[in-house]
Amino acid sequence: MTQLEEKKNSFHHDHIWEVIRGDDQWEPVGPTPMPSPTDLRNWDMRLMKTYKPFYAPFCDLCCLCTYGKCDLTGSRRGACGIDISTQQARIILLACLIGCSAHAAHGFHILHYLIDKYGPDTKINLGDNVAIEAPNIRLVLGMKPETLGDLLKVTEYIGQQVVHMLDAAHTGQEGSYLDYESKALHIGMLDHVGMEVADLAQISAFGYPTSEANVALVECGWGSIDTSKPTIAVVGHNPASSTNVIDYLTASSLMDKVEVGGICCTALETTRYSDKAKVIGPLSHQLYFIRAGIADVILTDEQCIRTDMPEEARKAGSALIASSDKACHGLDEVSDWEVDDIVKAIVEDGKQVLILDHVKAGEVAVKTAMALAPKRRKDLITLEEGMELAKECKTCGICERVCPNLLQIGEGLAAVAKGDVTPLEKLFNQCLGCGKCEEECPRNVPIFKIMQLGARKGTYNVRQGRGPIMDREIRNVGAPLVMGTIPGAIALVGCSNFPDIDDIVDIVEEFAKRKYIIILSGCSAMVAGMKRDENGQTIYDKYPPDFDQGGVLNVGSCVANSHITGAVIKIANIFAGLPLRANYEVIADYCLNRVPAVGVAWGAYSQKAASIATGCNRLGIPVVLGPHSSKYRRLFLSDKADDDWTVMDGRKKELVQTYEPSPEHLLYVTETKEKAMVAIARLCLRKNDTPAGRQLKLNHYISIYKKYMGPGLPDDLQHFVRNDKDLPIVYKREAMTYLKEVGWKPKPVLTLPTLIGTYPSKVSLDAVVR
Amino acid sequence: MVMPYHQVNVLTGVKGCTVIEDAAKYAEIIKKAKRPLLVLGPLLTGNPFGDKILLEYALAIAAAGNIPTVATANIRGKMLEMGATPDSEYDVIEIINSLKKPDWPGVRNEGNHDLVMFFGIRSDLGNQGLSTLKHFAPHLKTMTMCKYVFPHANYSLPNIRKDEKWKSFLEELITKLKEEE
Ligand code: SF4
Ligand code: SF4
Ligand code: SF4
Repeated sequence: MTQLEEKKNSFHHDHIWEVIRGDDQWEPVGPTPMPSPTDLRNWDMRLMKTYKPFYAPFCDLCCLCTYGKCDLTGSRRGACGIDISTQQARIILLACLIGCSAHAAHGFHILHYLIDKYGPDTKINLGDNVAIEAPNIRLVLGMKPETLGDLLKVTEYIGQQVVHMLDAAHTGQEGSYLDYESKALHIGMLDHVGMEVADLAQISAFGYPTSEANVALVECGWGSIDTSKPTIAVVGHNPASSTNVIDYLTASSLMDKVEVGGICCTALETTRYSDKAKVIGPLSHQLYFIRAGIADVILTDEQCIRTDMPEEARKAGSALIASSDKACHGLDEVSDWEVDDIVKAIVEDGKQVLILDHVKAGEVAVKTAMALAPKRRKDLITLEEGMELAKECKTCGICERVCPNLLQIGEGLAAVAKGDVTPLEKLFNQCLGCGKCEEECPRNVPIFKIMQLGARKGTYNVRQGRGPIMDREIRNVGAPLVMGTIPGAIALVGCSNFPDIDDIVDIVEEFAKRKYIIILSGCSAMVAGMKRDENGQTIYDKYPPDFDQGGVLNVGSCVANSHITGAVIKIANIFAGLPLRANYEVIADYCLNRVPAVGVAWGAYSQKAASIATGCNRLGIPVVLGPHSSKYRRLFLSDKADDDWTVMDGRKKELVQTYEPSPEHLLYVTETKEKAMVAIARLCLRKNDTPAGRQLKLNHYISIYKKYMGPGLPDDLQHFVRNDKDLPIVYKREAMTYLKEVGWKPKPVLTLPTLIGTYPSKVSLDAVVR
Repeated sequence: MVMPYHQVNVLTGVKGCTVIEDAAKYAEIIKKAKRPLLVLGPLLTGNPFGDKILLEYALAIAAAGNIPTVATANIRGKMLEMGATPDSEYDVIEIINSLKKPDWPGVRNEGNHDLVMFFGIRSDLGNQGLSTLKHFAPHLKTMTMCKYVFPHANYSLPNIRKDEKWKSFLEELITKLKEEE
C-alpha cells in the first residue's frame, strides 16, 4: 500500500489527489505524491548510513534563544538539551530553508507577475523537443503541470513545507542531527522543484530559448560595454524588470543606442531574453563595476546584490532603482508616480527610488540613463595615476587579515607602485570583490580604484542559457552514460567566488577534452567564457553546445540548475523506462547507483548553494566543493573502503557485499583544483559500469592522477577494479603489479545494483527492475 | 583573546588554542606523543625564506621526529620530486574524518594518533578541520606549524610577522627534535 493509499478517505488524500489531478492517466501515481517531511525519511537515513554527516562547527556556541548563549563543546548540551552535532544540523536546515525560499519566492513572484500579464491558463511551452516538461515536479509532486496556474499550486505546496520545516528549527523541537539532516534533504529536494517552477514560467512566458542546443553566443566582460552609450547595469536574479528594459528599448527603437549589461544571474536571464544584452560578469565583479562608475543606472532586483548599494551608487554617481519587494533598501516607493516625474527626481535631485511596477521600472531606467549619461564621465584609472596611489600602501598587511579569500593585496599594490600590474591581474581573479580590504586600510588606499588596472577588461563570450536538456539528447546519451562509455556528466554550478575563478575554466577544459559532458550554470557559466586561449578562443568557441560527449553547455541562471537534476531524472525515465510520477526513491536510487553525474560548486558562498547541493545529494548526485566551503559546516562522507558497501543485486534479488566505495562521498571538500579533478573522476565511478565503461573511467582517473599527483597509481585503485577486464590497457601492466602488491581480490560485477531492499521502504524491489 | 591572523578564523566560542612561541616547548610536546602524525598541505611549495621551499622543512621535521606523513591536495608530486614518499595519501577532510574515530588504526596501523600536526593548509580550511577535531576527537591533540594563530588547534604558533622568526623557529624545532633525551 502506498503512503497515499494509507491516507484514503482523509482530507489530506483528497487534497493531494485534487492538486495533482490523480485521475489523469499519464502514469500511475507512485508511492510518495507531494511528500510530507517524513515520507522519504527512510531513504535519507539509508543514505546517511553510508554517507555520514561530517561537521566542522563554525562556532562553539548557540545563541538562538534567550536561555543562551550556550556552550556546546565536549559533551555539553544547551539549556534546551541540544548537542553540537544537532545544532550544526539545525543551522544547515536553516541555510537550506533560506536558499530554497530564495528560489521558490523568485518563482512565486515571477508567476504572479506573468499570470497578471498573461493569465493563469497560459500554457507551459518548452518547444517541440522537450516532452517531459517538468521532471522535478512530476517526480516529487506527481503532477504534470500544464499551465502557469498549475505552477502556482506547486509553489503553494513548497511554501507549506518551508513553514513546516522552519517550525522544526524552533527551540525545543527536533532532537536528532539525522532528522534535521533529513529535513534539510527534504528542503533541498524542494529547492529543485522551486527552481523548476521559476524557469518553466520564465521560458514559457518570456520566450527564452528552448528545445535547441545551438543557441547564440552573447558578449561578456567589461569590454563588451560601449561606455560612450548610456549604460544600464541590471543586478540580481529576477528578470521581471530587466526584460521590461529590453521591451521599452525595442518598442522605442533604442536598442542600439543604450547598453544593457547584467551582473550575476540577471545577466543570464536578460541575455536569454535578448542576445543584444551583455553579461558584464559574475558576482565578484559587482562592486568593482559599480565603483568604476560605468553604469549610469543601476537597476536591482533580488539576491546577491550588495546590501550597501544605495551608498555605493551614490558614491559612483549612478542612479539607483530598486525593483523587488525583497530588497527595498530603505528607498521611497514611487511606483504610482508619473514616469517623467520619477526621472526628473532622479536626474535633478539625485533621488534613489523603489519601483515595484516592473513596466514602469524599465521605462524609467532607460529614460534616466539617456538623461544622465551625457552629464557623466566614465574614465578608468591610468597606470601613472595607479602607481601614484599605490605608493601610499605601506604593505602593513591589515587588508590581508580581513580578506575572506586570504589574499595578499599589499604585495600586488607594491608591484603596481613599481609599474607592474601582473600580480594585480592574478589577484583580481581571486578577489571576491567584497570591499573588506579597502574599508580596513588605515591609509585609505583606494584599492578598488587601483584594482581597475588588474581588472579583466576584455570582451569574451558566453553561450546563452538554453534551458532544459532535450528528450532526444537524453535518448542518445542515456545508454553510454549508464554503461560508462561516456565517462560522466559534470555540472559546474553557481557562484564562482573562491578560490580563483580561473579554476573553473581549467576544470571544464580538462574534462571536456576527455569527452565528459559539461553543464554550466550561473556565475560559473560566465567565468567559464572569460578566458581566451593562445588562439583567442573561449571554452564556448571550442566545444559543441550539445548534451553529448565533449559538449559544453550553459543551462542558464541559478534557477536553471533544476534542468541539471531534471536531465539526470529524465535519464532514469526516458532511457531506463522507470515511471517518474511520485516515485522519488526509485529514481534517486537509480541516479545514485547508475548515473555518473557529479556536481561541482567550486566557488559557492550562499545559502542557495547549500540547498542546491543538498537537493542533489538526496537525488544521489555527489557534489564537490572548494576549500572555503568547509564553512558550510557539513559534508556527507563515507568511510571509504572501510564502509559496508552491500547493495541489492536487483536481478538476483540477493544482497551482495561489493567492497566498492562508489560513489565514494556525497558532499566533499577539496583544497585545490588538482585534487578536485582527481575526485571528480573518481566520483563518476558507478557499480553498474560495463567492463568497457569501467576501463574508460579508470583510464581517466589514473591519467588525471598521474598528471596532477605525480607518478605511480592512486592508492585506492584496488577498490575500483572488479576484475582484470576493468583495467585500462595502457596501465594494465603497472596496475597488475600494484594490485598483486596490495593483495587485491576480484569483486562481483552487478548489472542492477540498488539500495531498495536494504532498508525499510514501501517500495518493492520489483519497482526498480525494468 | 588571541586574534588569528586571518579574521575569518576568529574564535566565536570558549575553547581556544594555547599559543606557543618556544620551539623547545613544541619539541617537548611532539617527543612526548606516542604516535604523532604530520599532515602536509599544498602551501608547502611556497618559498617564503628564499632558500628552500617549506616542504623541505616539513620533511626535516618528519625525519627528525620519525613522524609519519600524510600528503593532502596535490603535494604528493612535489614530495616524490624531492625523493620523499608520503606514508599515506588523503585529502585533508578525509584524514580528519578518519582521525575522528578513536579506533582508527592510524597510517602505520599502530593505532590512532595522539598528536596531529598540520602544515601548509589554507588557514580557513585548516581551522575548520581543526574545529572538527576539537569537537569530535577528544582522544587526540592538534598542533599547527604555519605562521598564523589557529584558534581551533590545541597548540598554535603566534601570528609571526617576520618570516625570519618563523624560519628560526622551524630550524630550532628540527634541531631539538634531533636531540636525544
Ligand atoms: S536554542 Fe538551546 S542551545 Fe540555543 S541558546 Fe537556546 S537553549 Fe541554548
Ligand atoms: S591595509 Fe592599506 S597600507 Fe596596509 S597593506 Fe593593505 S592597502 Fe597597503
Ligand atoms: S575585495 Fe578582494 S582583496 Fe579585498 S578583502 Fe575582499 S576578497 Fe579580499
